[in-house]
Amino acid sequence: MARLLAGRVLSSALVILGSLVLVFAILYVLPGDPTDTILDPAVATPEMVANLRAQLGVDQPFHIQFIRYFEKMIQGDFGQSLVTSEPVLDKIVEHFPATIALTVASSLVSVTVGLVLGVLSAVHRNRLIDIVARIIGLFGISMPTFWSGILLIVLFSLQLGWFPAMGSNGWRTLVLPAITLGIVGAGFIVRMVRSSMLDIIDEQFIVTLRSKGLTERAIMYRHALRNALIPAVTMIGMIVGEMLAGTVVIETVFSRQGIGRIISDALMAKDLPVVQGVIFFSAIVYVAVNLLVDLSYSVIDPRVRRST
Amino acid sequence: MKNRYSFRRTATVLIALALALSACATNNTANNTSNNAAANTGSGAAAAGDTKETAADDTAAAQGGELSYALATSPDSLDPHRSGLAVAVRVIRTIYDSLVVQLPDNSIKPWLATSWTVSEDGKSYTFKLREDVKFHDGTPFNAEAVKYNFDRILDSATKAANAAALLAPYQSSEVIDEYTVKLNLATPSRAFLGNLSQALLGIVSPTAAKKDGDQFGQHPVGTGPYKFVSWQENAEIKVARNESYAWAPEIVKNTGAPYLDGIAFKIVPEEATRIGSVQSGQVLAGETVPPQNIVALKSDPNFQLLSANTVGLPYTLFFNLERAPWNDAKARQAVKYAVDVDAIVKTLYLGTYDRAWSPLTPGTFGYDATLENSVKPDIEKANALLDELGWTKGADGIREKDGKKLTLQYVDATPNREKRNDIAVIIQQQLKAIGIAVNVEITKDVRTVVFTNGAYDLYGNSQVNSDPNALYAFYHTYDPKGRASLSRLSDPAIDKLLEQGLVEPDDTKRAEIYKEIQHYIVDQAIVLPIYVFPYTVAAAKSVEGIVFDSLGYPLFNDATVKP
Repeated sequence: MARLLAGRVLSSALVILGSLVLVFAILYVLPGDPTDTILDPAVATPEMVANLRAQLGVDQPFHIQFIRYFEKMIQGDFGQSLVTSEPVLDKIVEHFPATIALTVASSLVSVTVGLVLGVLSAVHRNRLIDIVARIIGLFGISMPTFWSGILLIVLFSLQLGWFPAMGSNGWRTLVLPAITLGIVGAGFIVRMVRSSMLDIIDEQFIVTLRSKGLTERAIMYRHALRNALIPAVTMIGMIVGEMLAGTVVIETVFSRQGIGRIISDALMAKDLPVVQGVIFFSAIVYVAVNLLVDLSYSVIDPRVRRST
Repeated sequence: MKNRYSFRRTATVLIALALALSACATNNTANNTSNNAAANTGSGAAAAGDTKETAADDTAAAQGGELSYALATSPDSLDPHRSGLAVAVRVIRTIYDSLVVQLPDNSIKPWLATSWTVSEDGKSYTFKLREDVKFHDGTPFNAEAVKYNFDRILDSATKAANAAALLAPYQSSEVIDEYTVKLNLATPSRAFLGNLSQALLGIVSPTAAKKDGDQFGQHPVGTGPYKFVSWQENAEIKVARNESYAWAPEIVKNTGAPYLDGIAFKIVPEEATRIGSVQSGQVLAGETVPPQNIVALKSDPNFQLLSANTVGLPYTLFFNLERAPWNDAKARQAVKYAVDVDAIVKTLYLGTYDRAWSPLTPGTFGYDATLENSVKPDIEKANALLDELGWTKGADGIREKDGKKLTLQYVDATPNREKRNDIAVIIQQQLKAIGIAVNVEITKDVRTVVFTNGAYDLYGNSQVNSDPNALYAFYHTYDPKGRASLSRLSDPAIDKLLEQGLVEPDDTKRAEIYKEIQHYIVDQAIVLPIYVFPYTVAAAKSVEGIVFDSLGYPLFNDATVKP
């Protein structure tokens, strides 16, 4: 167990480092640079651009820029935003909580809705509830969030006035974005849980259990569901990543604070230190969640525990 | 068997609980702040009205209340010398004052300066300053402060961009006495006073700017009618009434402190949400209304639409005069007659934007109104001009000459700001009718494609500016060592006029000079002026007194919110 953990942590660290290098390289080869945002191209003279480029250090070759960045980063200095001069760490500390709240809330929606509908539709295969659940699943997967988000805003905020259309202070502002984002993950979980439940129901040991005289309810919820949970939990790990990425759109649609907004603005402005910082912390969250998911297998399924 | 069940059950329950708890934890803390915020926005006007009841009796206008105002994008910095975004200027204008103010009739009036004299050679400006002005942090406003501000813009450590361009040709300041300052220019400039009136040359507190350095943009301190309170990035910027404000410029009625307790600028990028929140009462006002909503709002009795045309250069398509065949006036005129600008403006903006006729917008000094309705689409004339040049239609309907097809490289930027990409597509269709193959290139990297490589036949741009000298940067022969102008025009006669316009002291003569330049540009079809961008605000009926300055930025000195 300890060895497994150590290995996982090490490979996680490599993933994070890899993501740093990759993002740095991608941003480096993209055309344009931060001076495009800082200086109005209709006004700036070539000297002004050159001076600013030198000041920001973006005139240096790739490896120099990366080494400079990395040296500072391991000392806990993520640099300053090129646009506002604000320390990147301050920005992240300010904006991460709202994104985490949204990610947790929407994951909760995904898991609850996904599990309940998935189980119901498997248990009542081909009945009305199954069809409804499958339609909801299809909807969740195929509807773009920027569209479903606006639909929810129009209905529940602008028409009914139940929830605010914008902001990121308080649980009421969390409801609509969490549903918008959560329904996507729910769609995936519904399909996953349903199909794995159906696979298991057809297996021999279920027949054995039936023959032992267990009630159908006990068979479904104690045996079938628990076995179907493993792929669902794997899915959850991926969904958290999906939710984190989804915040880029959702935070804009619902005018929320958060790292999704920060990173999309920073990308537009080619504000490298900010992009790097946000990617770094997002990678940590993503890797950590997947680490937890891996470890949770052994809790849910004793076979995994014994085999390691 | 039994044991394992219970273990599994506990584990499952624990996982669920952990998830639920972590969610609750964030929910609870967030909940508290939400209650406060709700009080501020939803019933803000009423709540604040109560506390100000007694004060309200003294003045005719409704005192108190908070105005919530939704912005379309987030300001980059609230340091006027460093920012370059129009959205930042809307907030900056509430916090900072300028030395002078420009009225809609283009006259320059006192603000922080009470009077000024210009030297004979036009190269030095001596300002007498108000003696009763204090910055929000208590620092007194004086000649030293003015000198510090302008020197700060020149200092490369400030990373000033647009402010530095506006301040040119400023060289140095001399403090004559505590309330007299002399600004020296390298060359005379009639645009200088107008530029001084712009918010980007607003006066910042020297104490605060020195203290916060690079971070000053997050902790702005000025002398303006509102004091900075807080900035939650991407969410909200709050400013509160500056109680001791008593130096409002002539452009507003209220000479004292503003009536509002404060303004909450909310950042709401999504168009539908922004305008919808105004309609549902979640905010009192929202900016940049899309054309389809403008039409709907105008007919809605519960809301009002405020609008101000921006001033300077309208959205204009520039030919690159260094690229054949568009270096020939007849070829350009053919395009001018083939493009139906009215159709474009009506189709894309539903009649909510005004069509531009001149390289200057109405409202800019020297604008020539006689150019209005001077051009009508005329396909026959366009065809005749191209025939005359020897371009003949090939089998595919595209004209050819000496085996070369008649093509036009139309470059535009992404994202599709103000539907400009759609203009490109419509013009592509319209020019096909006279046998020109338009190649539309939408790029993110305008700096390289347009400004460095000059790889365009047609490229659109606009500029908010307080003076017709804005034309200089676009139409004067460019320095071969420096960056090319967008039109790449090089005509000694126009150069001379532009140079005269910059220094001509007599207003009537100066206006004549700019009229001549405008006529030349339109007749020679150097550019195709397309539309004048209106700054629009949707607001509840209870909001009154928002006025716009000469550049189209909102001023909130007179604003009130009826409880």
